[in-house]
Amino acid sequence: MKFLVVDDYSTMRRIVKNLLHDLGYAQVQEADDGNTALPMLKAGAFDFLITDWNMPGMPGLDLLKAVRSDDRLAKLPVLMLTAEAKREQIVEAAQAGVNGYVIKPFTAATLKEKIDKILESRASA
Amino acid sequence: MSEPLPRNTAPPTPELMDELHDLTCNLRNALERFRFDSRLNDLAEKEMPDARQRLQHVLELTDAAAHRTLDLVEQSGPAAERTARSAADLLGVWARFRSRQISPEEFRTLLTRMDGFLGSARADSDIVRANLAEVLLAQGYQDLTGQIIRGVMTLVEEVERSLAELTRLARGEASSSATTVIAPHVVRASGPAVPGVDPKDTIVSGQQDVDDLLSDLGM
Repeated sequence: MKFLVVDDYSTMRRIVKNLLHDLGYAQVQEADDGNTALPMLKAGAFDFLITDWNMPGMPGLDLLKAVRSDDRLAKLPVLMLTAEAKREQIVEAAQAGVNGYVIKPFTAATLKEKIDKILESRASA
Repeated sequence: MSEPLPRNTAPPTPELMDELHDLTCNLRNALERFRFDSRLNDLAEKEMPDARQRLQHVLELTDAAAHRTLDLVEQSGPAAERTARSAADLLGVWARFRSRQISPEEFRTLLTRMDGFLGSARADSDIVRANLAEVLLAQGYQDLTGQIIRGVMTLVEEVERSLAELTRLARGEASSSATTVIAPHVVRASGPAVPGVDPKDTIVSGQQDVDDLLSDLGM
């Protein structure tokens, strides 16, 4: 299972990467915004995308929309991990096709629960 | 029926054109000043106090993260210390056991102590490991506070530009096109919610609220 973690803060990328390692996911790559992430997603066989929303360059929502509009990436599981807490934003992300939404600050248990839930629904689909 | 006004077919005089030009300039300046004044009012009355609250929230977040980290370190220290001390205590008996200098009675005691040590070492290691994971998560404050500070920096830049423009207008100079763009900074992503700044009914209170909202949307 290969993950791409997208966040403009390197501290947050390290946190998520460490948590993923603890959960048994060893293959984790990083990108600091959507502009960097999109070519990586198109070039590499990623199985899961975890992205922040508020990033300079291409924000997470635009990255999500780009992923959903790309035939080869359209079905990629996407988990939004963000501090954006407005109800209208969460609705917007859901409408754009996000598979899960975790609000910062978050717990390791929440991250695990949401990843498991997404993977389970993928497996049963 | 009123009579139509007679049309003035005479070409406008240069004086009239100059006056019209001046009038237009004055009107444009007045409009700019009005827009500028409104924005300054917003900055002074709403956004600066908000920025103060945002920075206060940054202080609270950094304070909470530092204390959380220190608490976890303080809890982990004794657990690691306990394991190290128990291992050191056992080493002497263990060495005598390895060199076959131990009585059967001592051997039975060693087995009991070893059972206890393995159990407590495992429990203490679990504590340290869980605490380390929590320390890791506590560092998330840097992302959250960074986003808030970045927002405040944008505001400070705007205030700086506005004050420069105010000085220019006070001197009666025309505003420069580079500094007249004094509109609220519109961003779709606004960073972490700040208590007392963001209206409660527009934001979620936590993960459970997010899950409920997504559940209502059929997710």
